[in-house]
Amino acid sequence: MYKDPSYFIQGVLDNNRLTLARTITLIESTLQTHQDIARNVISELLPHTGKAVRLGITGVPGAGKSTFIESFGNMLTGRGYRVAVLAIDPSSTRSGGSILGDKTRMEKLAINDMAFIRPSPSGGSLGGVARKTRETMLLCEAAGFDVIIVETVGVGQSETTVASMVDFFMVLQISGAGDELQGIKKGVLEVADAIVVNKADGDNVTRAKLAKKQYETALHLVTPSSPNWSPPVMTCSALEEIGLEEAWETIKQHKKIMSATGELDEKRKDQAMSWMWFLVKEGLENWFYNNEEIKKVLPTITAAVESGKKAPTRAADELVSVLGSDLLF
Amino acid sequence: MAQNPNYNEWVEMATKQMKGKSPDTLTWKSPEGIDVKCLYTAADIEGMDTVGSLPGMAPYTRGPMATMYAGRPWTIRQYAGFSTAKESNAFYRRNLAAGQKGLSVAFDLATHRGYDSDNPRVAGDIGKAGVAIDSIEDMKILFDGIPLDKMSVSMTMNGAVIPILGMWIAAAEESGVKQEQLNGTIQNDILKEYLTRNTYIYPPAPSMRIVSDIMAFASKNMPRYNTISISGYHIMEAGADSVLQTAFTLADGIEYVRAAIASGMDIDTFAPRLSFFFGIGMNFFMDIAMLRAARFLWHRSMQQFNPKNPKSSMLRTHCQTSGWSLTEQDPYNNIIRTTLEAMSATLGGTQSLHTNSYDEAVCLPTDFSARIARNTQIIIQEETHTCKVADPLGGSYYIEYLTNQIVEKAQEILDEIEEIGGMSKAIESGMPKMRIEESAARRQARIDQGSDVIVGVNKYRLENEKLDFDILEVPDSVRIEQIERIKEIKSTRNEAETQACLEAITKAAEGNGNLLEVAVAAAKARATVGEISDAMEKVFGRYVATTQCVSGAYSSEYSEANAESATVIEDFRKRTENFLEKTGRRPRILVTKMGQDGHDRGIKVVASSFADLGFDVDISPMFQTPDEAAKMAIENDVHIVGASSLAAGHKTLVPELIEKLKAQGAGEIGVVAGGVIPPSDYDFLYDNGCKAIFGPGTPITTSAGKVMDLLEAQYIK
Ligand code: B12
Ligand SMILES: Nc1nc2c(ncn2[C@@H]2O[C@H](COP(=O)(O)OP(=O)(O)OP(=O)(O)O)[C@@H](O)[C@H]2O)c(=O)[nH]1
Ligand SMILES: [Mg+2]
Repeated sequence: MYKDPSYFIQGVLDNNRLTLARTITLIESTLQTHQDIARNVISELLPHTGKAVRLGITGVPGAGKSTFIESFGNMLTGRGYRVAVLAIDPSSTRSGGSILGDKTRMEKLAINDMAFIRPSPSGGSLGGVARKTRETMLLCEAAGFDVIIVETVGVGQSETTVASMVDFFMVLQISGAGDELQGIKKGVLEVADAIVVNKADGDNVTRAKLAKKQYETALHLVTPSSPNWSPPVMTCSALEEIGLEEAWETIKQHKKIMSATGELDEKRKDQAMSWMWFLVKEGLENWFYNNEEIKKVLPTITAAVESGKKAPTRAADELVSVLGSDLLF
Repeated sequence: MAQNPNYNEWVEMATKQMKGKSPDTLTWKSPEGIDVKCLYTAADIEGMDTVGSLPGMAPYTRGPMATMYAGRPWTIRQYAGFSTAKESNAFYRRNLAAGQKGLSVAFDLATHRGYDSDNPRVAGDIGKAGVAIDSIEDMKILFDGIPLDKMSVSMTMNGAVIPILGMWIAAAEESGVKQEQLNGTIQNDILKEYLTRNTYIYPPAPSMRIVSDIMAFASKNMPRYNTISISGYHIMEAGADSVLQTAFTLADGIEYVRAAIASGMDIDTFAPRLSFFFGIGMNFFMDIAMLRAARFLWHRSMQQFNPKNPKSSMLRTHCQTSGWSLTEQDPYNNIIRTTLEAMSATLGGTQSLHTNSYDEAVCLPTDFSARIARNTQIIIQEETHTCKVADPLGGSYYIEYLTNQIVEKAQEILDEIEEIGGMSKAIESGMPKMRIEESAARRQARIDQGSDVIVGVNKYRLENEKLDFDILEVPDSVRIEQIERIKEIKSTRNEAETQACLEAITKAAEGNGNLLEVAVAAAKARATVGEISDAMEKVFGRYVATTQCVSGAYSSEYSEANAESATVIEDFRKRTENFLEKTGRRPRILVTKMGQDGHDRGIKVVASSFADLGFDVDISPMFQTPDEAAKMAIENDVHIVGASSLAAGHKTLVPELIEKLKAQGAGEIGVVAGGVIPPSDYDFLYDNGCKAIFGPGTPITTSAGKVMDLLEAQYIK
């Protein structure tokens, strides 16, 4: 690993593929020494960020997110945009390892020189994803990518986390046996800037149209997150490349309105703020777990809670007070 | 029928022999989930509808012919092809002279995937894993001196089936043989390509139309020709157990029947020409029963289409012994394995058979290894007297029980597939592929921890092994030769005519003209395989597979074996965890397949099990060029790339990958290789910078351990 921040900074600004890739690795590293360099790199690069369209895409496994990005990304590069894709893959809670197969569904985009795709393991902790993805997004912006797409599978809180760091959040759905709404969480509807029903092709077109109606009805029951934008429902076929144009128009339209009303600026300010608080929380947490005293007492206290010998409330008090006495020194 | 009156006495005796334990504890659960007891009696098969028929009569459980081998033995049909058409032709002729009865052509991977030999994507593949065919001129050389009106020719072709079959028909016509005289089989089974064999070109819908076009053409013009060989062999070799093989193969068959009926054909015009292809492994009795079960089930499944001709529901099949069961270690053991499997196939009543050579896990067969393989069959036919009786095992309690179990279990899966909406939909859903791959990962785990024994690999392994036989190596000059010939053909043909024929193909693809018919004309006009394929690709597009990967199967099968095995997994996870603590991230490996090599069983097993051991595993799309693989390695910033190579492209592709990485400043990303790489090539690869090589039979724990050694040495100071 390279120690000199300027290696990374210069490489990213030059849009050197190799260095950009290595800088992402640096950011993702769990080592404190790497994190120190990473902080440095990010703050140097921050002035070069903010110009890209930040797009988040979520959806159930198999909804066609990767296929959509393959078609959509190639369409955009065809128009001269440079596209970066960050795909988050779940890590196994058992082994810690992961299978990162996104590029098998983005075959053409993966070898497209105008595109950069980086799959990342979620690494077990969602908090981790939040920081890494946000910072990786900034790196890609600094490297000059025009559109940045974050793909995340809809598990746990990951969608809302990603929604909180992008300009436009798209929920990809598929039509199924009729009770589509079962598959969508209310929280996700609230943060969606558009719902796109994918796989509207072949003998599936009518079903997709039906699903579209259902989502439209469902969206009426949700208060939109923006006074200036009511999230549309669209259909598309990622495979047959139908409806991609409309999706792009919608995103551009959204950006136009959000910029004109000043909401985009507001949103990004909010995001910066929540990023700060996130880092504070993460810092506190790190500090907690790395505290020598905590490391010493943690196993006994957790064991006591597990066996029911100690109440969780009591245990938490004790742990925090360990920090407290540490602070007195 | 009641239980044998002496049964209780037997139980007592057995319990005594077991020192008081019940004989039930001897029951073995087969990979298919069938409980195999240590004794079967008449009571076990009482009332079964699978028992009691006669050979040659519906439901054909006991064989499609009345006298079976007593009348005529099965056809010895060896699958072969390599290098140029000329070399392969000479090889065929030598084999026919030595007692082989039918021909079976193996094409190289460039041809399979519809590329001409001069296409840069296939530089490492020409003539390596089969014979290179670019045009009708090659086809004519391939069959030079072989009477196509008499010799039955089987061709394993699925992706580029339109140009290849077109060229074969055209070549026959140019040598004076009429279409109606042609006799043989084209594999033309596209569904299993998406599932396991991976030489598809177009997406499923147009590919299914191609299948129907061929059936329609042949039912009109080639009455003696088998238009499809519905193949379970590849499904088994990719990891399926015998029940999965039966179910998925028959489900494919049903799908083709539906497609043909939907295209307007009458069931009795094509169903009698459907043929099957099964794989026979080392589970001796199971696979005898499998063939019997498959015939019963096919007959039953076909009734829904109301055939009038009895032949429409009669399953006739070719078989091949399992290549997967053959080892690089102690390779002469393979002759014994193949003999047993050949016995199993013939006791099960196959109509033709391919037996593998002992050098299967090393290279394509040489004249010598092919001779031993062929003689295996000749000896069974001529010396053992096993051919004197039809279905000699019919009525065996155990065989009949197994037959029935396979019927029941396969039917359950068939029902499940119907529920999904048929095999095309099931394949789309990913269900069959995942089942096969899970089965493969579990198998690997059982071998790695020793519960499935493979002699010479995980038991009685030789200490110092050195291959002492000749290896067939296809020289790179084949590519140059092929390119020269393409140039010559293109410069001497009537270009306007060729282009008109190609346009006719594109038109037929857009509309509904018969694609085979126009391809025969294009072949005569000297259009190449690549050109004909492209003419259709313009309309159909090229299919890209979606790769899914099972997780957890390897470690769970491994850990469940015993406490000691569980520790192996746990210890390994600690090792990857330690790497994470020391270096800031998990060991990250890109596993990739370069060239047109479509063998993905190994790489899937490696990916899935490495992830189970705590690696972050990137999987590349199939069919990468070294350049593309390098780009992916760099972007994903992996520690190491693992190239899996089974189709003899390793000497070109692996060094090129290492070069490409270096050229882009990523020399620190190491490269290891695995797959069918002859030991004599190891030094060449090491000299070119390959860090480690893992041949067939390497336990995952060994290869993963070696990869960790390399990474720890490089990154943990
Ligand atoms: C199974 C098989 C098939 C299956 C493949 C199913 C699938 N989806 O994978 C089917 C039946 C479809 C098939 C078809 C063909 N096959 Co085939 N096949 C085999 C066979 C019998 C076993 C391969 C296998 O899967 N083994 C099990 C896996 C787990 O082992 P593995 O891949 O070797 O991986 C292990 C190690 O090598 C290592 N490893 C491998 N890669 C990596 C990577 C990393 C990173 C690491 C750490 C380790 C590692 O770890 C694994 C675990 O031990 C071999 C012969 C043999 N016994 O090896 C022939 C073989 C590879 N096939 C061969 C040929 C020619 C073909 C065809 C091209 C024939 C034709 N002309 O049509 C076709 C086309 C396939 C294609 N599209 O490429 C030849 C290749 C000849 C050569 N190299 O010179 C072989 C060697 C047989 C022979 N002697 O003729 N085949
Ligand atoms: N018919 C049809 N199939 C599609 C379409 N988009 C994707 N698919 C198929 O759906 C399957 C899943 O697609 P992916 O793109 O991998 O889905 P994903 O949402 O990225 O999946 P994960 O990353 O596993 O969560 C694949 O088999 C695709 O070919 C579409 O528009 N139409
Ligand atoms: Mg995806």
